Amino acid sequence: MVEITDVVCSLCGCVCDDIVLEVENNQVTKIKRGACSVGKSKLLGHERIKSPMIRENGELKECSYDEAIKKAAEILYKSRRPLLYGWSSTVCEADSAGIELAEDIGGVVDNTATVCHGPSVLAIQDVGIPSCTLGEIKNRADLIIYWGANPAQAHANHMKRYSYVSKGYWTAEGKKGKKLVVVDVRKTMTSKMADVFIQVEQGKDYQVFSALRAILRGHEDVVPDKVAGVPKAQLLEVANMVKEAKFGITFFGMGVTQAGARHNNIVNAIQFTRAAHLHGKWSIMPMRGHYNVTGFNQVCTWQTGFPFSVDLSRGYAWYNPGETSSTDLLYREDCDAALIIASDPGAHFPGAALRHLAKIPVIQIDPYANPTTEFADVVIPAAISGIECEGGVYRMDNIPIRLRKILDTDYYVPDEEIVERIHAEVRALREKEGE
Amino acid sequence: MQTITLKLKDAVRSGIATVPVEVESLTPDQLFGKSEAELKAVKVWWGNREENTGDLFDVSVEGDAASADEVKIVMEGDLTRVKRIGSGMKAGEIEARGDVDMHCGALMEGGRIVVKGNANCWAGREMRGGELIIEGDAGDNLCAMYRGEMKGMTGGKVTVGGDVGECICQYMAGGEILIKGNANRLAGLNMSGGKITIEGDAELFGPDMTGGEIVMNGKVLEMMPSFKFLETATIDGVEYKKYLGDFAMGEKKAKGTLYVK
Repeated sequence: MVEITDVVCSLCGCVCDDIVLEVENNQVTKIKRGACSVGKSKLLGHERIKSPMIRENGELKECSYDEAIKKAAEILYKSRRPLLYGWSSTVCEADSAGIELAEDIGGVVDNTATVCHGPSVLAIQDVGIPSCTLGEIKNRADLIIYWGANPAQAHANHMKRYSYVSKGYWTAEGKKGKKLVVVDVRKTMTSKMADVFIQVEQGKDYQVFSALRAILRGHEDVVPDKVAGVPKAQLLEVANMVKEAKFGITFFGMGVTQAGARHNNIVNAIQFTRAAHLHGKWSIMPMRGHYNVTGFNQVCTWQTGFPFSVDLSRGYAWYNPGETSSTDLLYREDCDAALIIASDPGAHFPGAALRHLAKIPVIQIDPYANPTTEFADVVIPAAISGIECEGGVYRMDNIPIRLRKILDTDYYVPDEEIVERIHAEVRALREKEGE
Repeated sequence: MQTITLKLKDAVRSGIATVPVEVESLTPDQLFGKSEAELKAVKVWWGNREENTGDLFDVSVEGDAASADEVKIVMEGDLTRVKRIGSGMKAGEIEARGDVDMHCGALMEGGRIVVKGNANCWAGREMRGGELIIEGDAGDNLCAMYRGEMKGMTGGKVTVGGDVGECICQYMAGGEILIKGNANRLAGLNMSGGKITIEGDAELFGPDMTGGEIVMNGKVLEMMPSFKFLETATIDGVEYKKYLGDFAMGEKKAKGTLYVK
């Protein structure tokens, strides 16, 4: 038995890096400290895809890595409009190789942000983002707002490590010295802890941000008595808390990014942060989901100039979510092949998009079988990043953290290598055709 | 007068996927003076490959033109996956007989486009001049901008016979637009100039407006909570409530005007 300390969790955007676990016979046997219940379940491991597979006459048949990679390359090389989607539960090195492949084959490359915090990324382009690190929040924040997010259940370590419950240099009293505001459409486990809970009518967050902005800018006279079901008195109460805070932070989740005005909600949330800045120090941060969804956006921006939903079909980057985003492409039946890596659209995409995905050739790269496997035509199992191989990832506050390797594998191949080998096969096909 | 008829071949739409064709190379100013053979050789994008126009469209030419102004392009067939029709056009006329895909009339500088059907999203994007007539409905982001651009429509005239989607005329800085049907939320978002007239119903129009005007003749489903009522005003004998905003932008920038019937 070996005890390993400072293990980095490759589950959610919190990327907790203080986990202590025990390994025996190349198996994680016990999580001693640090991980939340969801992280624990990932670190302890579960059923894997056992072998690469190719679908023949409707059935997935086991094959070698070489055969599956060759088949994948043939599909992508032939495609007039391939979609390369996923990239959030793998490391930056694999993302980088994937974007290079997309550029070479004239594909559209997109990550899970497209159905998650893509609207946040769009908003940041429109109005910028005044943000900070989670460490600053831990050490300084005295007013915390969770808007359309429920960390008590979705990011179980978030409040404890970084926000309301954590104790830092200037926040030594922990939650005693802090205030918590929760904005949501319904009561949640997080809202039960809040000093003030604002219940907004479904899809109407936009109006509440505008009203708060007008109040913070000294125009409470124009705000009506009720905004989106919220009494003006409550908005004034929160505005006063904002004015009195020394360091405030708004964390927002998919309750705002995927409801009502969507990305314009976030534009308005950032503008609210700007208005709050007239009174004190204020920051804003998205509650990113997958452990490296942020990292893909970083890498994609280095390599193409844009963070996600990048169409490289014409030899330059065209970025237009709504047109080049995966769900829209599939819903419109625009794509004729897809490579799905480190994600599960089978479980998360809308039905109309999935219907088309089930019709076209699909290559799946993933350590685990999931609903996407049910219609994939080529399945390539990968080593688990953060457990069987290392690599760089970005935490939700854009802090790079290196995932560690804690177990050995002599069979499974890392995502980066799979993507590079597919790319090499594509080049070989092109050379062959050129002859 | 010269009429160039381009009919999309059925084969383009017959695959497992309907990969869009992008045709910003097919405008009257670019096709003027070309023989039929030259026309057929003009490149258009179909997915990640460039193809000859003649391979994707049946091409026919009638009459002669002395300038691009005298060239009329008639587009036929199923155009629902034909993008960028008339994008960047400077002169002449395009008539699209049916529903068209995204970016129709984007970056248009002159001439006239008539869509005899519905237009998908981003029609008239960053339009600078000319006239765009959409007889049916128009999608989201009509006359708005490419992601990240800080200016949408700056000139020209647009008429939509039916309803429009969300965020129309975002960052509009000039020009005029008339919507005969209803408008979905956030019409005129970030608008700084120009004029929008909505005959039908609308909600949450004019957020973060810093200039320009929106005239609402239909029913207001929901007002933004950050506009100030100023006075009653009369335009062409019709009485309107006049509002100023958006005060969420602060007093100095709140220079947009709403006229609500």
